[in-house]
Amino acid sequence: MSKKVFAVIKREYWTRAKTKGFIIGTLIFPLMLVLIFGGIFIFSIFFQPSTKTYYVIDETNKIFDEFSTSLSDTLKNGSPKFNFVKMDILPDNMEEEIKSIQKEVVEKKIYGYMLIPKDILENRTVKYSAQNVSDFEEQHSLSRAISNVVKNIRLQNLGLDPQQVRDEMDKSWIRLVSSQITDKGEIEKSGTSSFILTYILTYVMFLMMMIYGGMVMRSVIEEKSQRITESIVSAIKPIELMFGKVMGICALGLTQLAVFGIMLSVIVTYGEKLFLKFGVTDTEFLNVIRQINFSPMIFLSFLFYFLMGFIFYSCVFAAIGAIVNSEDEGQQFTFPIIIPIILSYFIMFNVAKNPDTTMAFWASIFPFFTPIVMFGRIAVSDPVMPSGFILSIFTMIGFTALMFWLTAKIYRVGILMYGKKPSIKEAIKWIKYK
Amino acid sequence: MKVLEIQGITKQFGDFKAVDNIDFSIDEGKIFGLLGPNGAGKTTTIRMIMNIIAPDDGQILILGNQNEGIAIDNIGYLPEERGMYRKMKVKDVLLFLSALRSMDKKSATEQIDFWLDKVGLAEWKNKKVEELSKGMQQKIQFIGTVIHKPKLLILDEPFGGLDPINQNLIKDLMLELRDMGTTIIFSTHVMESAEKLCDEIFLINKGKKVLYGNLNDIKHSFGLQNIVIKYDGNGDFLKLSRNIKKCNNYGNTAEIQLEKDADAQELLREAIKECKIQKFEIVEPSLHEIFIESVSENNEEGEGNE
Repeated sequence: MSKKVFAVIKREYWTRAKTKGFIIGTLIFPLMLVLIFGGIFIFSIFFQPSTKTYYVIDETNKIFDEFSTSLSDTLKNGSPKFNFVKMDILPDNMEEEIKSIQKEVVEKKIYGYMLIPKDILENRTVKYSAQNVSDFEEQHSLSRAISNVVKNIRLQNLGLDPQQVRDEMDKSWIRLVSSQITDKGEIEKSGTSSFILTYILTYVMFLMMMIYGGMVMRSVIEEKSQRITESIVSAIKPIELMFGKVMGICALGLTQLAVFGIMLSVIVTYGEKLFLKFGVTDTEFLNVIRQINFSPMIFLSFLFYFLMGFIFYSCVFAAIGAIVNSEDEGQQFTFPIIIPIILSYFIMFNVAKNPDTTMAFWASIFPFFTPIVMFGRIAVSDPVMPSGFILSIFTMIGFTALMFWLTAKIYRVGILMYGKKPSIKEAIKWIKYK
Repeated sequence: MKVLEIQGITKQFGDFKAVDNIDFSIDEGKIFGLLGPNGAGKTTTIRMIMNIIAPDDGQILILGNQNEGIAIDNIGYLPEERGMYRKMKVKDVLLFLSALRSMDKKSATEQIDFWLDKVGLAEWKNKKVEELSKGMQQKIQFIGTVIHKPKLLILDEPFGGLDPINQNLIKDLMLELRDMGTTIIFSTHVMESAEKLCDEIFLINKGKKVLYGNLNDIKHSFGLQNIVIKYDGNGDFLKLSRNIKKCNNYGNTAEIQLEKDADAQELLREAIKECKIQKFEIVEPSLHEIFIESVSENNEEGEGNE
């Protein structure tokens, strides 16, 4: 590679890597994510509500005692979460009493009331009225508590011991241990984990191709609209300039990915201790991440398909940048380019579930879809390589080279065309120029 | 030695012939004027020299060879359409431009300091381009063009958008570079500045050669056609003479342009017969006049052919 191309790569890389936007995006953005999630958690501690008082009208007279003792949750400050007050109301006075309860709710003396009807065993309905009914978690725990009491009563009615039944049911949960059959035998592998891995990585690919592709386009437009191009291409061939641009911005994208990757592995490694410090004991999701088998093969194929996809689409973005005169004009063209990227992401969703269909095969060979779809197939099938894997490497390299060559011809003419925006037809004619 | 030789280059865009079979060559250490009205083919010619676009026909020899890679680093080109990366620091822009000319970082840094000091912008070295005035940016662009000590310097309308003080500065730098042996192609449609600076000119119109040669020789050949007469008496003969193509009569002084094949001596004889002649002078025309004359003539011819 010539030194001049290297100078272009260096310029494209450093002028962007040093900007506040990039540093914030790379370092602070993930940190902010952590802070936001941490913040939500911390707020949920500070914003604990005070004890809520409910009036409970238990027409059955059988449920209240067991129900109110089963919900003994306490708030962070130690006081109980709920305070249930049993109301005994004669049916004749019902309307009046309810009205006075409603008044107390409005005056915020109590939070709400529940009406457990006589026929609860048959109709299984409890009336819940409160100042606010948006806390579905709380409602869920209330209904679960009442359900439990009802369940016990019904079991007893059948002459069964509720505790015994419960123990039996707990003992009957089974777990599916999934394995994938490969030529090296069976490998234990979690379906959820490999799906999560596939979705995350293809999503990253999808975002990177769009965001950094757009960056290539803006870089071309800057040189064109600021009339910088002519000085530059008098010293370096347009095709080298375009190559340098794509590579410099690609390096920037890889830098960002590397930083994210390091941050993620730090969170996975030390996250548990950190979360425990904040009082989070439910680290189930960390286990899911830990089960992800990020094999060297996945890593290598991610790099390959990301690079190819990035170069493939960046070339198109560069050609568009060369055709238009301003960023506004460029925006109009952006959408048609990102359609195949979006499409390939949706295709990947289906293909990931059934990676060995004929449709999956062809979708992963079509060069506009290959990066995301083929990588998706590889990631879910790992360690087995999906059909067409070798073929896609050659077609992708071939089509990327072809795309580079075609768009470089449009680029070469376009960057020096000022004034009227040419039609796509004219731009395609440029390919034939000597 | 010929720094640049252009042999029969032609470039066509669709149906439009931007440059049509032109030849010229430039000797070392000369300022060469590439002149012509807007849209004449100057920029296309330059772009072919710079290998930005390829000629359909003909060839271009730079320093006697066609090896573009090495040759191109011996040229400095200041395009007419010029701008800079607004968000970059002055120093970084110049380092980038010098890297594109295959300079190593050490000598580039030295040259940057030398030139910034020379044009009085040393304290702007670490400022962003967008903080500079337009005139300052133009000076930085000029530095970017000459920083690698090119043997051939191509300046396309270098005075465009500059105030008179900065025009003078650039002019002085051009002369200084020429004296150091740099060959300069000066492309412009402003004849006054070309007249003062150029040793040789190539006048192009509609892609074709109109005039080419040493500026003094060209002026000399045109000069025989222009006459100023100061007279006493009846000047009616000026209207009647078939030797005169155009006449500006101010009463007792007339500026005359002769017909192409007319003889100044014959006009003098006619004049003496009619009135008392106080002054009869054959004047050198300005390049401006030559330009207008040649281009309008060329346009008429062109229209006649169509």
